[in-house]
Amino acid sequence: MTTNTTAVPDLSWIGDITMAQLERNPYEPYERLRREAPLAYVPVLGSYVATTAEICREIATSPDFEAVITPAGGRTFGHPAIIGVNGDIHTDLRSMVEPALQPVEVDRWIDGLVRPIARDYLEKFENDGRAELVSQYCEPVSVRSLGDLLGLHDVSSDKLREWFAKLSRSFTNAAMTEDGEFANPEGFVQGDEAKAEIQATVDPLIDRWIAEPADTAISHWLHDGMPPGKTRDREYIYPTIYVYLLGAMQEPGHGMASTLTGLFSEPDQLEQVVDDPALIPRAISEGMRWTSPIWSATARMSTKPVTVAGVDLPAGTPVILSYGSANHDTGVYEAPTRYDLHRPPLPHLAFGAGNHACAGIYFANHVMRIALEELFESIPNLERDTSSDVEFWGWGFRGPTSLHVAWEA
Amino acid sequence: MSFTATVGGREVPCGQDQPMLDAFLRAGVWMPNSCNQGTCGTCKLRVVEGAVDHRDSPADTLTDDERAAGLALACQARLRSNVVIETAGGGRATHPLRDLTATVREIQDIARDTRRLRLGLPEPLAFHAGQYVELTVPGTGVRRQYSLVNTADEDKVLELHVRLVPGGAATEQWIFADLSVGEQVQVTGPLGDFFLPPAEEDDGGPMVLIGGGTGLAPLIGLARTALSRDPARKVLLYHGVRGAADLYDLDLMAELADSNPDFAFLPVLSHEPENSTHRTGFPTDCFLEDVPSARGWSGWLCGPPPMVDAGVKAFKRRRMAPRMIHRENFTPAAS
Repeated sequence: MTTNTTAVPDLSWIGDITMAQLERNPYEPYERLRREAPLAYVPVLGSYVATTAEICREIATSPDFEAVITPAGGRTFGHPAIIGVNGDIHTDLRSMVEPALQPVEVDRWIDGLVRPIARDYLEKFENDGRAELVSQYCEPVSVRSLGDLLGLHDVSSDKLREWFAKLSRSFTNAAMTEDGEFANPEGFVQGDEAKAEIQATVDPLIDRWIAEPADTAISHWLHDGMPPGKTRDREYIYPTIYVYLLGAMQEPGHGMASTLTGLFSEPDQLEQVVDDPALIPRAISEGMRWTSPIWSATARMSTKPVTVAGVDLPAGTPVILSYGSANHDTGVYEAPTRYDLHRPPLPHLAFGAGNHACAGIYFANHVMRIALEELFESIPNLERDTSSDVEFWGWGFRGPTSLHVAWEA
Repeated sequence: MSFTATVGGREVPCGQDQPMLDAFLRAGVWMPNSCNQGTCGTCKLRVVEGAVDHRDSPADTLTDDERAAGLALACQARLRSNVVIETAGGGRATHPLRDLTATVREIQDIARDTRRLRLGLPEPLAFHAGQYVELTVPGTGVRRQYSLVNTADEDKVLELHVRLVPGGAATEQWIFADLSVGEQVQVTGPLGDFFLPPAEEDDGGPMVLIGGGTGLAPLIGLARTALSRDPARKVLLYHGVRGAADLYDLDLMAELADSNPDFAFLPVLSHEPENSTHRTGFPTDCFLEDVPSARGWSGWLCGPPPMVDAGVKAFKRRRMAPRMIHRENFTPAAS
């Protein structure tokens, strides 16, 4: 008689994972998931979760899966949000947003858009000798750049920051009960208030752009590709406006702040990047791998019964793709918790994969690049203010909550 | 057999044993370059098509990953086929690299263990102030690099400042030994990227130049060029040496100060008593004392690597933009 000597890990701990734990630091449970159950059902999320680079990439690019928005994401954005639709609607929404985000198009105006914005914010604090970069620089440069591109020139940067923060908390209010209900329905209230305010602000602009098309992204979304005299319905584009006002507004700020925090953890590498701005894109790429801003906010659903990584999934099974975890996969990256500018520049999944990969990758990378170029140009003696710690927060979206710096002014 | 290297539409012939950089510079095609011995990485470029032999490229400067990604050091790589390359700042016209036979016009002891060489050229050499040339030590094949003291219009007689290196093949055994006036010397140049922007791109901003020992040499040409463009320009020139016996050209500096109100020459002695008539300590510390903010300034550093590194730190501490910091390291001769 033989016995099976392969130890079957006891996975009951997965049932004990809480949202608070994930939002504080998802790396520990996800490291264990990668090791013991890289495609596992996580009860608190009410969903399967993919945690390794290989499985995330396989599902993101598989013909047997299509996009699905997470329940809390769908509750926040409504339908049809570009990240959660498929087929013709997805094709139309991508064709709506992509022209302005093509590299040749972005190259035409990105410097003239972002550099003056970065300079404006720097001028407010560059002689102070200290600053909190998340709120004074990373987030404002990110929201102002995209806000102006969208046509929201008259919406203040602080208002745009408030909107993404409220939408973000709503989108990641993911906890589910055993009955498949939202565990914290009150967590959607702020997001709903933000959406009401957004509509009150954007509706008059849409009214104007319907009558008088302008060279703003939202005006192009209304008109481009439509027969003369017709525009896309505003209810049809609002969910995608919310996608922008959350992710596209928040994440370049997260990316900058995480890159800076990573560089502060390796002072020699910070010095190399300050001395040679040509290294900034590489520093950002590693920052995006090290702490991926869209950590665990996208999902796919099987379109037929499939077996992935030895797990049988019936048709219609949602799987959350944890790109932040995949980018710490020790099967791909050596010592992944360390920020290392000089690690082999392997591809990472911070911008996703497959036909739902981030449409704004080129734009976002250049916003971050220009912002860091101007920051180091103005304050080459930047140091982290070590009197306060850098605290990261978030499971769906992740980045430093604050980043205090000091320099000899 | 030779191959061609193509960059930005220019096709440059390249001999089988000729470094790619050498071929480009001789054809008058600019490539970023600094040390020309594989240690600084300035001339790193991407081979888009074709194959190269990396020859003596050090693994520290050109990693295996970079080689796999198609990068090469132009100063070391030899062509193994026709190639197409891409480079960040390259491809524009520059002063061609040339080999000339010069005649020693003057050898002068100007300070402790320091000699001034003046070399007459058979024809003018086009260069930028701040660049350097290589001299070939006769009968050895050994080449050594010396910065030009001259401004660009002083193109017929080159001035070099040479510091004695104990046991040095070019110094103790040649320039400080039997080299004499009238002898012929093989000169290759100009080389390096240590020079001012073209006059039309020069914003006329304040400059600080810090030289250690004979690292003063190229700074003299740079300062004189900058002051000729704008005599009222603020230019601080620090000369770091061990003792008063190492100072030289004080008269020339006094003349420059007389005719340029915002020029200052500031010798700083590291091994003199505090009561010296000169400032004591390190020039980078003096800069920090003297200049509360270097925003909008450009900085120029030439000397031993520790001095250059300290200078970069000091400049950034005073918030000079990193892209305005220029450095020329005295690196040990390649073996």
